[in-house]
Amino acid sequence: MDSLIQELKEEIIQSLNLEDMKPEDIDANAPLFGEGLGLDSIDALELIVLMERNYGIKLNNANEGKEIFKSIQVMADYISKNRTK
Amino acid sequence: MAELFIQSAVRITSDQVWVDGEKISIKKEEEVSWLTNIYRNLDIQYPKFFKMDNLCKAGFLAAEMLMGKSGLEPTEEKRDWSVLLFNRSSSLDNDQSYQQTIADSANYFPSPAVFVYTLSNIVTGEIAIRNKIMGESCSYIMDNFDADILYETGLIGLSEGKGIDHLLIGWVEFLDDTCDVLLFHVTKEKNGKTICPWNNVGIKKFFL
Repeated sequence: MDSLIQELKEEIIQSLNLEDMKPEDIDANAPLFGEGLGLDSIDALELIVLMERNYGIKLNNANEGKEIFKSIQVMADYISKNRTK
Repeated sequence: MAELFIQSAVRITSDQVWVDGEKISIKKEEEVSWLTNIYRNLDIQYPKFFKMDNLCKAGFLAAEMLMGKSGLEPTEEKRDWSVLLFNRSSSLDNDQSYQQTIADSANYFPSPAVFVYTLSNIVTGEIAIRNKIMGESCSYIMDNFDADILYETGLIGLSEGKGIDHLLIGWVEFLDDTCDVLLFHVTKEKNGKTICPWNNVGIKKFFL
């Protein structure tokens, strides 16, 4: 799980262009949206693409996304249970 | 005919920056892009910069330098300011990046973050949002930099734009790693900061 969390941090920094941020700056339990990383709605769409491209997980329900993208820890739990690649 | 005045001018090319005709020294780090090097030299904190495409980054940086010279804070609401931009290649630089995300049907993952910059007028929006500019903003396409058209458009923008006293107007072009920007702060009123009149000669003087 730790390696998946690290991988997610690196992928999120790259995909969302968080250029001034390093993986160690991101708390795996901090909220991704709002106060934590301060991501926006376009970032949410980019995370949906990331889930499908990297892990073969297709999210069709927006409410599902709200739960899954709570934090990197929650994302990693969901990916480890549902990944197809 | 109304007379307008250039308060400041910023020129950015692929390897140089000039403010009011004076070359600015930019400390370069090898591992980051030219535009990111300029951003870091300006010592500003605006994480959204890194999400922008190159065209927006170029326009944003020129506007930051002009606004810095104006002495106004980005957080200050500017109801009498307007943004008018020109370029040749529209958003083609970013359009090409987006096209790469949809080129391979076996690896078809359109990027929403790249897609949102596939319009040339997004740069006017980014500048307006950053600086709370409430006046009209427009972007136009023309074949090449043309000082006459720039002059005429500035004149119309300030003489016919009701309630508009300041313009950010100029040429913001970026394509295939080539940056070509000349942005002006133009006003109706002459003041102690005025560097020259807004006319063909004044405009060309800063196209270094």
